[in-house]
Parts: sequence; C-alpha cells; structure tokens
Amino acid sequence: MAEQIEAAALVTVVAEFLAQISGELSGARAFHAKVAANALAIVARELDQKPGEAEAAALAGFLGHEAGLDALRAELCGRLRRGQLTPETPGLLEALTDAVLAKVAVDNPRYSTFKRLRPEG
Amino acid sequence: MMEPTPEVLAAVLARAADGVQVLAVKALTGGASSATYAVDAERAGAAWPLILQCAAAGEVPEGAMPKAHQAALQQLAGRHGVPVADVVAVLEPGDGLGEGFIMARVAGEALAPKWLKLPEYAAAREALTGQCAAVLARLHAVPISEVAGLKLPGGRIGKAHARMFENYRSFGVDSPVFDLAFAWLAERCGDAEPSAIVHGDFRSGNFIIDQHGLAALLDWELAHLGEGAEDLGWLCANAWRFGVWQKPVGGFGEREALYEAYEAAGGAHVDRGRAHMWEVWGTLRWGLACLQMGHDHVSGRVRSVERAAIGRRVSEVELDLLHLIRFGGI
Repeated sequence: MAEQIEAAALVTVVAEFLAQISGELSGARAFHAKVAANALAIVARELDQKPGEAEAAALAGFLGHEAGLDALRAELCGRLRRGQLTPETPGLLEALTDAVLAKVAVDNPRYSTFKRLRPEG
Repeated sequence: MMEPTPEVLAAVLARAADGVQVLAVKALTGGASSATYAVDAERAGAAWPLILQCAAAGEVPEGAMPKAHQAALQQLAGRHGVPVADVVAVLEPGDGLGEGFIMARVAGEALAPKWLKLPEYAAAREALTGQCAAVLARLHAVPISEVAGLKLPGGRIGKAHARMFENYRSFGVDSPVFDLAFAWLAERCGDAEPSAIVHGDFRSGNFIIDQHGLAALLDWELAHLGEGAEDLGWLCANAWRFGVWQKPVGGFGEREALYEAYEAAGGAHVDRGRAHMWEVWGTLRWGLACLQMGHDHVSGRVRSVERAAIGRRVSEVELDLLHLIRFGGI
C-alpha cells in the first residue's frame, strides 16, 4: 500500500467525526452537519465504486462504441432531442436504468426505487 | 429593506385591528424565493399568532405572481371552501419591508415526516386522501374568470413544456433520462388552453395537519393557470412520500381512492393515463428543482452544503422517471 491513510479513509473518518459532533449542535447547524456527513459518505462510495465507469459502460454498450462519459451522455441527449432515439427505441430504457443504478448506488443506496430496481434485489 | 421588527409589524397590523401589540418576531425559513417569520402578537390582550411571508429579495422574481396577488388568491380559495390561513394584512411600499403579507398561524403540524409517521395522526392520515380530493375539486371548479385581475402565470401546455425544457438546458447539464422524459411528455401532453386554477405545489410538505386532517393548505406562490390534474400528479411524486413510498398519494393514500373521491366531490373525470402523464411531469419538475439547487451552489448564488447535496438527488429522480415510464407507476 503506497499510503497508510488513503483518501477514502480520510473521508470516512471525517464523516464519522461530523456525525459525532452533530449531536452537540442545534437547529440549522445540526441539520447541515448531518447533510455534510451524508455528502462525505457519497464521496467515500464514489471513490470505492467508480460509478462513472459503470455508467459509461452501460451507455457505450447501447451506442455500440466507446467514448468518454461526457461525450456519451451528450450523444444520447442530442439524439433524443433530434428524435433519432425515442422512449420506444429497443434497449434504451434498460441501458439508462443500468447507468442510473450505478449512480444511485453512490448517491443514495437507501432510496426506495433503487432497492426495487437493483439486480440483486 | 428594513428588518421586520415588532415596531414595524405593529404599525402594519394597526391597519387590520385595534389594540395590537407585537411581542416577538422569529425567522423560520430563508427559502430561495421567500422568507417566513413567526409573529407573536396580541390583540385586545389575547394572543394572536401570525405568520409573515416576504419575498426574499424584497420583490418576487420576474414573471412570478406578486405577493399581494398571492394573498388575494389565498383569500379567494378560502371563500370557495379551501382551508387556508386567513390573510390579515398585505404589506404596502410605505412599510419598507418589500412585498409580502401577514396571515393567521394555523395550529397543527407542518412537518410531514412527523404527521406521516406518528400514531396520533393516524385518523388524520385516514381522512386526508378524501380531504385532498375534495379541496382540489373545489379549487379546480373556480372559474378562471374570477382571477382575471390577478397576475397568475399560465399558458398552453405545449408552451409550459417548452419553458421547462428551456429551463433544463439553461443549466448546461446533459441528462439522457431527462431528455427521454421530455420526449415522452411531448408525445402525450398536448397543447390545451388552461382550464383551471392549479395550486402548483400541492404536496405533503405544504399542509398543516391536525388531529382531523388538513387544517390549512400553504404556499400558493407557484399557483398558475393550467389543467387541474397537474395537482393530482404532483401530489403523487415520490419525493413527497418521505420514505413511505408504498403510499403513492403523498405517503398516506392510494391513487384510485384519490381519483374516485375527486370525481365524487365534483371534480372532472380523471383520465388515468393523463394522471400518469402529470406524475411523470411532476417528477421531472422536481428533478429540475434539484438541478436548480445544485446550480445555486455551483454558480455561487447560494453556496451551501444542503444545496450541493440536493444536486446529487438528480439521480434518484432519474431512477423514478425510468420506473414510471417503464412500469407505469412507482
């Protein structure tokens, strides 16, 4: 291991610290400390899961060619805006679901619709 | 702009009643568009709990309804049997507080996560679907000619769709799911002229709930002219269920019960496919609100950990949209 304390470990411990002190705060500050701890939990999951790679793989699989994530998103949006793709295009809804599941697994894995749609459950 | 001190508010309230004293003014929330204060007043020696709502920047944003018109609409809805907080006084330029008005502080619980879960509100939750349906049926039955003098936004539905898409594009974000939802809606929304007064923010977070159910419907600032079913769809968006996702109507009720009660209370026939279209519309509208809050942070307009975090809720909305479009509901 190159670093004893990696970025993910720092983020996690700061999130734990914020969760600890939020009990000593009140009102808006306590609420914002909880929001901040949740935000760091998102960062920790993002460092661990690299959702951009999974999203790009799902979009590239549908489009049939590789590109950066921003370019893949822009291509899909452009084709939807021009009517070259529609909600009825075979495989589109499934590919977008795979792409978004990878994002919600990082942003909010407790979300009800995520629990209903994720492959393992 | 002056601060709403007890002295300033006492002068405003003197226009509404004799023998008014203002004991305390407490800021409640500082939203993006309006600021709300709890005002503890006394009238002839008896407690008079009030709420002051002001436009955040002194005046409402371009194209929005002036606060005085919002107050007038709220009173009009009250006369038609919609439970609202009674408007006590409307601010005037000479008051130095910008646009705003003072209304009664209705007793009850405003925090939806509380009344959706606490056992003491079980009877209220039981009655609420029917009450929401009846309130919306009454509001949507008000002839739009009655608000001819008020600056309510509104136009053809196709124009509303185009405006929403323009709003999405203004953020410079590419969301394939949002574009898909815009395309899905464009195939279905049509281009009808407005036919009803739409509350525009009819959701669990804007209710005051007491033991008997809906005590007051708050926040009329997004009211507009449109199609009544829009309010039914917005009420069913997953974002307002506060985790009680199995109850599609605001986290407390079932869709069929809502539609049937709406029709029974004199509302227009609810085309189920149309109601579903409005649910997708409402869900996308909430997604754009998330983008707006993320943008507020990124642009530096309102730097805040809360806004930045809400920006990350866009993916939840994307998943809800896919679920709605693939499976016809959430």
